[in-house]
Amino acid sequence: MSEFKPTILAFCCNWCSYAGADLAGVSRLQMPPNVHVIRVMCSAAVKPEYAFKALSEGIDGVLVLGCHIGDCHYLTGNHRTKKRFPVAQRILKDVGIDERRLRLDWVSAAEGEKFQQVITEFVSDIKKIGPNPLREVKM
Amino acid sequence: MNDLGRKLAKIAFEERKADYLLAARDESGNVAPAFVSKGEDVGDVRMDVPYQLVMVLTKLYPWIGKGKIAVVARRCDEKALNELTKRGIFDAERIVKVGLACSKEQIAKCRCDDPVPSKVDFGEPQKGAASDELAGKLLKMTGEERLKFWVRQFRKCNKCFGCTTNCPVCFCDHACVLEERELVAEKSIPPGLAFHLVRSFHMADKCIECGECERSCPADIPLLTLRKLVKKDMKELYNYAPGNEKAISPLLTTLEGDKLEDDSNVC
Repeated sequence: MSEFKPTILAFCCNWCSYAGADLAGVSRLQMPPNVHVIRVMCSAAVKPEYAFKALSEGIDGVLVLGCHIGDCHYLTGNHRTKKRFPVAQRILKDVGIDERRLRLDWVSAAEGEKFQQVITEFVSDIKKIGPNPLREVKM
Repeated sequence: MNDLGRKLAKIAFEERKADYLLAARDESGNVAPAFVSKGEDVGDVRMDVPYQLVMVLTKLYPWIGKGKIAVVARRCDEKALNELTKRGIFDAERIVKVGLACSKEQIAKCRCDDPVPSKVDFGEPQKGAASDELAGKLLKMTGEERLKFWVRQFRKCNKCFGCTTNCPVCFCDHACVLEERELVAEKSIPPGLAFHLVRSFHMADKCIECGECERSCPADIPLLTLRKLVKKDMKELYNYAPGNEKAISPLLTTLEGDKLEDDSNVC
């Protein structure tokens, strides 16, 4: 059997994390290639619905990256994200999906290295957890 | 008009000075909601049915220009009215509640832990049920077992939207992004796990556990148990319980201590 290659979605906020990802790329930092980056205007624009949909369609992990608390371009966007996502994680846990498949983290525009670190960590975490059990379930 | 009807009309129109009354009544052997003006015959009122009237009230409310509306309210209806008033759907001044305490059998069916309304006009106050048996069982399971259980349950869903249309606090027909709120495309039944997860999330800050979703589900999915699990999480995370008129910081729309904005009726 071939090695498990997780598929991961990363929602990056336009003002910090996407720029951070850019910086990581420009600095030629090495990181696993399993991640699909989606640019959103703010981490608060990522509805937990998107994460649920992705996970129920068989994506192995969803990463939501935003500006650090206090640095939001829209002032309180990431506060809202911070308030919503723990609930989403609990709901995942309640139906039996590992809540570690959904992760919220903060990466600023100057933190290319942190972006690399978060991605590497998350990918290795997901590799440990294993493939999304819903991938096999033909609903 | 039966005795219940007479007593109800007296309380609503004479004691509480309401202009309209909303109650459930017998209609040739079936139960139907009835909306009557002052002086009209209420008919054979039924109090033994668990159906929610708040949902009917939400639909009628925009068409009633002025006057007070009396509504038969259990504890869960009361909580629903609080949630909706908070979001600006109702004017609190215009709603008159006639309290109805649930019977023991009903409490057992709803696994309800908070069954007594603030003012009891009908029925005897009973003690709440201790806990949800199925929820306890599920929490003891491992993740995989739980997922297996829920996948099996959700596979029965044919997306009839019964749980959504009958929900008293699911009020945002136009703004809600609850997946595709329209007829389902060919070969897309069952709708997958996401539908119920999204609904759980939307209900997290306003579910008042009336159990209407579970009652109206033709596939007998234990939706109330899922709501109870999420309610427990909300309690643990934010010490927030829906239905309290004072806590005006619903999770999805505002931040802690924020006032509700104009778009607060979007979920």
